[in-house]
Amino acid sequence: MIYRIYEQDSETLLEKPETGMGYQIISAAQYNMRFSRKFVVYNTNLAVELDSDFQVNKRLIMNEGYKFALSKAPVLTLETNSIKVFDHNSVREFITLSAVKRDINKRLSGGKGATDSPKEFANGKDIFTRVSAYEDDKRIDFVKNRLKPGTFTTTFEDYANCVITNDDPIDRYALPNDEKIKWAFFIQPKSVDILQKGIVQPAFSHVGGGIEAYFEKGTSENTYALKKEYGKQ
Amino acid sequence: MENNNQLKLPTKFTSYLENLPEQGMGYQIVDIELFNGKTLVDRIVFNSTYLKLNNDEKIDSENIKSVKINSK
Repeated sequence: MIYRIYEQDSETLLEKPETGMGYQIISAAQYNMRFSRKFVVYNTNLAVELDSDFQVNKRLIMNEGYKFALSKAPVLTLETNSIKVFDHNSVREFITLSAVKRDINKRLSGGKGATDSPKEFANGKDIFTRVSAYEDDKRIDFVKNRLKPGTFTTTFEDYANCVITNDDPIDRYALPNDEKIKWAFFIQPKSVDILQKGIVQPAFSHVGGGIEAYFEKGTSENTYALKKEYGKQ
Repeated sequence: MENNNQLKLPTKFTSYLENLPEQGMGYQIVDIELFNGKTLVDRIVFNSTYLKLNNDEKIDSENIKSVKINSK
């Protein structure tokens, strides 16, 4: 749905920073409504709801022109206190997983990213995998055979799902890479090692939905097991 | 559009970044201060080594004064 933002709300938005050049992504509740919805607001006054029709409505505006779309759009009045503008850094690409990615590629949706998830001890048995474009991945300490502190991995199971279903690791793990993933590093943390497990959240125009595991303090010595070419058994 | 415009960071910055946390698997988000006073904000560094540049952007690695992890 396309709306014209109520004039006073438009002034409120004008006082808030942009999310990107010429637009704000906001979360706000309609006046007298309790729940918030998300909108992309152009020029602080033309709002397009971020729902499944977003792309269609965006194309409509491009075809009809901004002024015409604004002139015929119904007015949207917001609860001023509910308006939250997403800054550029915090913008999650509001993309939903397609059924193919969810069912065929076994990706997950929603949940929390690893760093927002509770800490837990490794069980000493599970294997974790780190995919990389670089054979000399800097997060692996090849001398002590361990992960360095502050390193992300995925679970072996999720890596295997990615490979078996011929999924795109860059999209699954929402990576900003332009280079291909070529390597996989396998790590078996000890039971004293602590990790946080979560679901890769959308970022960099990628959907995410893979599993990520974050080792804030790295792993113990001799936990890095081996390196293989990505996808090779 | 694919952008392969990257700059290899000098070793001192690579060594520094290697010991700092990632923001996602294989990358870090950094702010870079240049000697000309300009600051590059929210830039991606792969493998603690390769700074992703914008299309057509040219930066001399010798012009980099400091690299900091963006903690926002």
